[in-house]
Amino acid sequence: MASGTDQKAIFEDVARVLSTHSHTQAPIRPETRIGADLEIDSVEIFDIVMELEDLYNISLPVEAASDIDTVQDLVSKIGQLANVR
Amino acid sequence: MTSRRPTFSSEILSPTRALVDGREIILAGTNNYLGLTFSEAVKSAAIDAIARQGTATTGSRLANGTFREHIDLEEDLKTFFRAKSAVVFTTGYQANLAAISTLAGRGDHLLIDADSHACIYDGCRLSEAETIRFRHNSPEDLAKRLARLPDEGARLVVVEGLYSMLGDVAPLDEFVAVAHEHGAYLYVDEAHSVGCYGDRGRGLAEELGVLDKIDFLSGTFSKSFASIGGFCVSRHPGLDLMRLVSRPYLFTASGSPSNVAAARAAMGEMMNGPDLSRELMERAHQLHAGLTGAGFTPASPPGPIIAIPRPDELTAVREWNRLLEAGIYVNLAVPPATPHAKSLLRLSVSAAHSEDEINTIISAFRELT
Repeated sequence: MASGTDQKAIFEDVARVLSTHSHTQAPIRPETRIGADLEIDSVEIFDIVMELEDLYNISLPVEAASDIDTVQDLVSKIGQLANVR
Repeated sequence: MTSRRPTFSSEILSPTRALVDGREIILAGTNNYLGLTFSEAVKSAAIDAIARQGTATTGSRLANGTFREHIDLEEDLKTFFRAKSAVVFTTGYQANLAAISTLAGRGDHLLIDADSHACIYDGCRLSEAETIRFRHNSPEDLAKRLARLPDEGARLVVVEGLYSMLGDVAPLDEFVAVAHEHGAYLYVDEAHSVGCYGDRGRGLAEELGVLDKIDFLSGTFSKSFASIGGFCVSRHPGLDLMRLVSRPYLFTASGSPSNVAAARAAMGEMMNGPDLSRELMERAHQLHAGLTGAGFTPASPPGPIIAIPRPDELTAVREWNRLLEAGIYVNLAVPPATPHAKSLLRLSVSAAHSEDEINTIISAFRELT
């Protein structure tokens, strides 16, 4: 698990989790759109968020999850919550 | 065979029968758990209310829309659920929208089961509290998420008694323990479970022996109560404050006299009539065993909702049409309205179903295999 502000390590964790849920061969990069490029729907994204919440011991509010579009959005949100924990 | 779109209009004949395109079918997807929509006592009460009070209130509860019967219904609910306060709403949807959005505000936290009904999510949206989801029916996951919260602000945990899609029930006794151990209030939506579980249908919390420990309990009149409307009751006396600030309570017309009278009469039937919840569960066990014997695997143990997962959406739609052609109406439930993107044939049982009707439903399912 990545610690604190280590965005690169967070990205690696996020990419690993997303890769197990992706429905396409699209490469997972910071700018990759989770819905449009990986074809992960809004129901699946909640399951992914729960996995990452457990990994970082954080809770991502539902309202914040609905703002997540790209992989970087998710990485940034996790980094932000992990820092203020 | 032509496939129908998965909705239909019908002429209702009884709690379990309807005419569709001039053909009589058996209804097995109405949520009419106790079959009281055709009870003579309930119908008479509604007709009498229209004769005495007219067809509508034409106003909000806070203005001209509180009739004596609205207050009487709230008193009946307090007695039925052994509660200190009760508020009646115009629909079940509005009950959750109003109560959840009013009980938690900015700086508070709402913790909701991941499989919550849309009205719970909408109530959370209308609230200014932060909403955290926990894994479905998992007190352990709830405990973990409660432990992560800051000390500031109130905490309200929201779960349902009986989940409407898969027909599984919540471990309410465990949720009570976890919520109260972490300083949270527990809110239980018993929309589907009131009438079906517990002594005289008082609900799942009563059946599990924790009714007096539930902080807030909501429900609808549109299922077992054979009417339209919703309610929230509480063991805390302060619930009445909601009447002054809750927008879904204030800014809508109150329930019609006939709806209020029907709900009161249905509650009277539940308390004083034949034990319909017992009859309902006998039919539920018969249907569950029959479908299992026919080679299907229900998603949950026997109960008033029996969901049959299908391998994909197309199969579910085809089978739904074949059942309707065979004279059986069930609910077709497909993603995104279902948990875990399941495609389901969803049946709801009624105490009004006869043993023969249940056997006919089972035979129709057997023909699908």
